[in-house]
Amino acid sequence: MVRFKNRYVLCEVLSDDPRCRQCIEDRAVGLAVRDAIGRVHGDYGLACCSISFTVKYLNAYTGTVLLRCRKDSYRLLCSALPFVRYLESRAQRYPCALNTLHVGGTIRTCQKFLIQYNRRQLLMLLQNCTNEEERQCIRKSLLSCSLTEEQSQSGDEEDDDGTE
Amino acid sequence: RAELPPAEFERRVLRSAARHHYLRVRLELADGGARPNAAQFKQLVVSALRELHGEVGAALPVDVLTYEEKTLSAILRVISSGLVKLWSALTLLGFYQNRRCAFRVLQTSPFLLALSGNSRELVL
Repeated sequence: MVRFKNRYVLCEVLSDDPRCRQCIEDRAVGLAVRDAIGRVHGDYGLACCSISFTVKYLNAYTGTVLLRCRKDSYRLLCSALPFVRYLESRAQRYPCALNTLHVGGTIRTCQKFLIQYNRRQLLMLLQNCTNEEERQCIRKSLLSCSLTEEQSQSGDEEDDDGTE
Repeated sequence: RAELPPAEFERRVLRSAARHHYLRVRLELADGGARPNAAQFKQLVVSALRELHGEVGAALPVDVLTYEEKTLSAILRVISSGLVKLWSALTLLGFYQNRRCAFRVLQTSPFLLALSGNSRELVL
């Protein structure tokens, strides 16, 4: 075997309930997806997909979730995502839906897609603004965000003589 | 004498020609206790599929063509793409109404006619 290939599935959490945002955590989403796979594909599908299954990245503000699984079982995972009906955490259950945005082979391709997707979403949000105040607000916040460079790189990099 | 043209040799290989596969199975159950009737037998098969392969497995088109309650043997028909799922689900089924049970697959073939003869029980 040369190497294990993974597939990264990028999805977003859609919900009518605004309180669902606080429920978006990696454990809750992971359990919900595993439960859905178990229902749809049974014990065999659950075991297949759980081999290398984790929630790699989660953004509660935008509802973006990045899941990882093996390349052999990503079809089982993708077909079970529409069956996730609610997220549950801390004894609270909120109805939601998972929308698949992109399936990539590496985290880097998913990140590139997410950047483009977010740009397009911002443009659409700007066009859908109803009053001028909101537009100004969005423009200001967009123009004010910038990358801050780290002040000091980790300065102390001593060469260790390999005497361990 | 005219020579006939040499016979042309043509070989055709059909990998998955048949649409359905047929299985002759027997359910082994401990003695004593009610035996399942035909509907309960099909329910057992579908529940085995649902446990191992989920809702997708339970939706597999499986038919019980014949069923004998005395010997608990049946002929099942399944679509060819679902043979592996059905066979693995039958293998891993362990309980019927909290009694230990086991499925024995006696014959399998893509042709129903082939299930009529069994060379294992041939008396010469």
